Amino acid sequence: MDENTVNKGDEQDSSKSSRRNFLKNIGLLGAGVAAGAGALYSGDIFEKKKAATGEAKVLLTQDNKLVEVDSLELKALAKNPTKLMLEKGREGIEGRRWVMVIDLSKCRNARRCIAACQEAHQLKPGQYHLNTLQMQDAPDTAPYHMPKNCQHCDNPPCVAVCPVDATYKRGDGIVLIDNERCIGCRFCMAACPYSARIFQWTLPKDAGKHQGEAYNVELNVPQKLGTISKCLFSADRCREGKLPYCVSACPNGVYYFGDENEDAVSNGTTKETVRLSKLLRDNGAYQLMPELGTRPRVYYLPPKNRLFPFEPATDEAPKEG
Amino acid sequence: MKKLFYILLPVIITTLRVEAQNPSWVVPDDQKGKICLVRFTSDMAKQGEVIYLKNCQSCHGLPTKKNFASIQPSPGDLSENKVGTQKDGELFYRITTGKAPMPEFRNILTEDERWSVISFLRSFHKGYVQPDPEKMAASIGKRIKLSMTYDTVKRRILVKAVELTSDGPVPAKGAEIVVFVKRYFGNMQLTDPKPTSENGYAGFEWPQDLPGDKSGNVIVGARVNDPTGNMQEAIVSDTLAIGVPTNKPALTDTRAMWSTRDKAPVWMILIYTLAVIVVWYFIIYILLSVVDMRKIKQV
Amino acid sequence: MDLIISDLSHHIRLNKGFFLWMGFLVLAFLACLFAYTRQLKYGLGVAGIRDYISWGLYISNFVFFVASSLIGMLISAVLGLIGMKWVQPITRIAETIAVAFAAVAGLVIVMDMGRPERLAYVFLYARFQSPILWDVTVITTYFVISLMLLMLPMIPDMAVLYKRYGSLPSWLKPVYKVLSLNWTDHPEQNRIIHRSIYILLILIIPAALSIHTVTSWLFALTVRPGWDSTIFGPYFVSGAFVAGSAAVIIAMFFFRKNYRLKDYLTDLHFNNMGKVLVLVAFVYLYFNINEYLVPGYKLKRADAIHLRELMSGHFAVMFWLVQVGGLLIPIVLMLFRKMRKPLPLTLISVVVLIAAWFKRYLIVVPTMAHPFLPIQHVPDNFKIYTPTLTEIAITLLSFILVLIIITLISKFFPVIPVVETAKEKGLDPLKSNES
Repeated sequence: MDENTVNKGDEQDSSKSSRRNFLKNIGLLGAGVAAGAGALYSGDIFEKKKAATGEAKVLLTQDNKLVEVDSLELKALAKNPTKLMLEKGREGIEGRRWVMVIDLSKCRNARRCIAACQEAHQLKPGQYHLNTLQMQDAPDTAPYHMPKNCQHCDNPPCVAVCPVDATYKRGDGIVLIDNERCIGCRFCMAACPYSARIFQWTLPKDAGKHQGEAYNVELNVPQKLGTISKCLFSADRCREGKLPYCVSACPNGVYYFGDENEDAVSNGTTKETVRLSKLLRDNGAYQLMPELGTRPRVYYLPPKNRLFPFEPATDEAPKEG
Repeated sequence: MKKLFYILLPVIITTLRVEAQNPSWVVPDDQKGKICLVRFTSDMAKQGEVIYLKNCQSCHGLPTKKNFASIQPSPGDLSENKVGTQKDGELFYRITTGKAPMPEFRNILTEDERWSVISFLRSFHKGYVQPDPEKMAASIGKRIKLSMTYDTVKRRILVKAVELTSDGPVPAKGAEIVVFVKRYFGNMQLTDPKPTSENGYAGFEWPQDLPGDKSGNVIVGARVNDPTGNMQEAIVSDTLAIGVPTNKPALTDTRAMWSTRDKAPVWMILIYTLAVIVVWYFIIYILLSVVDMRKIKQV
Repeated sequence: MDLIISDLSHHIRLNKGFFLWMGFLVLAFLACLFAYTRQLKYGLGVAGIRDYISWGLYISNFVFFVASSLIGMLISAVLGLIGMKWVQPITRIAETIAVAFAAVAGLVIVMDMGRPERLAYVFLYARFQSPILWDVTVITTYFVISLMLLMLPMIPDMAVLYKRYGSLPSWLKPVYKVLSLNWTDHPEQNRIIHRSIYILLILIIPAALSIHTVTSWLFALTVRPGWDSTIFGPYFVSGAFVAGSAAVIIAMFFFRKNYRLKDYLTDLHFNNMGKVLVLVAFVYLYFNINEYLVPGYKLKRADAIHLRELMSGHFAVMFWLVQVGGLLIPIVLMLFRKMRKPLPLTLISVVVLIAAWFKRYLIVVPTMAHPFLPIQHVPDNFKIYTPTLTEIAITLLSFILVLIIITLISKFFPVIPVVETAKEKGLDPLKSNES
């Protein structure tokens, strides 16, 4: 009786292992076939490419390289660039924690940052990822200009309320929006105490021109009707090792941007890189509404020892359209 | 004493204001003589114009248009005589070092770019004659070679500069050395520049709290920073394991209200699922039993 | 017995009045549906909402609908379970209102979505942490329970009408036959149905409290002044009872008049419903005092701006009309017995219901109009919210839908439970030779 059971067990084992081997072989064979087919396929594409006469298109590959592809081959080579970018956009850049420092003593409302931002993200004049607000904390204190963007909070109230994981926070701190997912409920707008988010109420800028373009989640273009947009800390530029659009565009040295883990931020105007901790310590840095517990990734340096006299902004409201 | 201070206060303020309006922006004598080693051409001026529009126009406006920004101290129109009479070296120095609110362009523009901006400006200065570059070409700077080590005892970076002469290498004295650390968006200068000693050495205190990568590796570099043009540019860099090993977890590693669905707080998943299961169990149970009722016939 | 049956069922027929009313509703529905197709085509921009004030009529309306649907639970479950016999003829009216408003509340949310075609994502990518998932879950659950509480007690009625009511329209007969589920008044059947209803009555209490508490959390879970409140749950629930009670009173009045139910919906019922309305209005008043006095005493910066805008600023007229005209004066009036007669009570209820709608608007919009940071450099229509015609039409669409649902249910089914009324009078409805 005992013997029988043992034998049976052995049998089972051996049959199992033979099956496993069989599967392994199949797997290897499969891999071989796939590789061969792949080689044949790419060879085929190479042949075709010579004959193709379509327009040349520049594409971003999965390993973050720009390649030029003939538009006729687009389907065969890159099946779904939107999907690739969405997947990549969910992952932060490893080991980084982006941080921005805004020096209010240097801002004189030149609004170059805003122009660069609106250009990059295909925004209309009245739509802001970044807006310079004229602030006055108390009746007797001096007015100042304050660039205000998404604070990329470490406890983001907007992300908490999203019903579909459309807006999410990455490991490197950036709060992004997947507009292939967004249902347009605008709960995130209601939840954000910094009014950082905007909505595409009407057809986005140049909607016709950008129709059918692959969606780049790290740049949030092309903008989509009925979805949310906001500052992304220029996630696409961070990936390339470049400073965000607004930071590079500032003529007055207002912005610093960098990696908290490296304890360094770079000024977009002077390109000078300094210790983050020292900059914050020496200048009495603060955050916007820290009492709300949002833990922003944007710091402000107070508007003291200003280099420019304050000039009130002309609040020329852009027309909607 | 206090009284005296108050009496003098307006005087002090006025003096300071005057000071601010007429900034004493003195260019060191040894800098004034610096000149461009190539001839200014219209091509070069054109390149300079592009750079000027990007970096200078927001404050200085367009030359001759007098549309400079109304800020203090006034940036002024750069086509004016006040600028035209300055030597090339003076302009170069001012662009290089800046003076708040004007940024220093040392790290923004290369030497060539700075010169092309000057060549652009010179095209507005009537009567300007460029000093002969050929004359100066004879005296190109010394060739310097740098090497760098980390002194584990004194915890400092030691940079050695040698001059490569025709007789072989000799220690370079008085070479101004800048030590920098590579960061994601650019190089971070460690301290103020230091000149090398008699035997060509310069030591730099290494900050013990500077983060490195996971294993504490930092890319450190040193270069000769010689504004006089006496020494050629030289640079050395190396990866040293002298930073604080930094391996902070991704910010998404915790379960939180704002995490993705997969990282929702466990208690929240449990309560939600449990509540739905319990309520819908009853609803389905009732539905089934009511539908079953059809089978009961009157006896 | 036959008298009861014909009294309670004579309205179940297709008459001219019904066609006229339904025709009007359907036409209005189609007209408003056109407005919605415009929104589908051109986006939410056809509405007056913009950045900053990004929730407007739709969300206010949604809150109002959820609130009105809550009354089903109060009447049938709370009052029923504690043994209030007089509510028995009103329960079906209350459940009808609950079902209609709960069903349309879900649609109102879809109308507010920028991407309605992605509705399935709410389930596909559901996040446990989002109050929207909780809201969707509890509204669905509440709708199903309410529907069951409407249909289950109707099973015996339909069996009786199918068997004994000769004037039942022939085309309705198969419907009644199917829905009566072979009801034969068997003791076992009675046991099952009573137990089922009992479980449902208990289930609906947490479900109903959840739907409105969760709806209040859509606001209270943010840090915004005016929303950042710990009493928003009970505040909303008590407000919901006010709106719902008023809706039931109005419906009672119409059914009593149009379906000639004077003997069944008596002055006593109106008097009692008036008392219920006064009671819940007092509770609501209490929460209102809490909601405005507590921040008004401290006047924290953002709260101060919010309260000033409400009480003396842009929203002041609406605010005081709603608070005084729609809550305080009705309470005082309804304390008098004369005012709880059918007609005056109905008129008061109409005022209360309209005020209840505007109250939701006052909860949603002013908070959004005053964010923490100033609104600058944006088009003028971003700063002040003006609902557009299209937006109003789409809001009307939801009301028309509610009316259509209430009309259909009340027209083709007995408004007042037949069997229960008969049993109350000691009659056995399935045996023909009595009374």
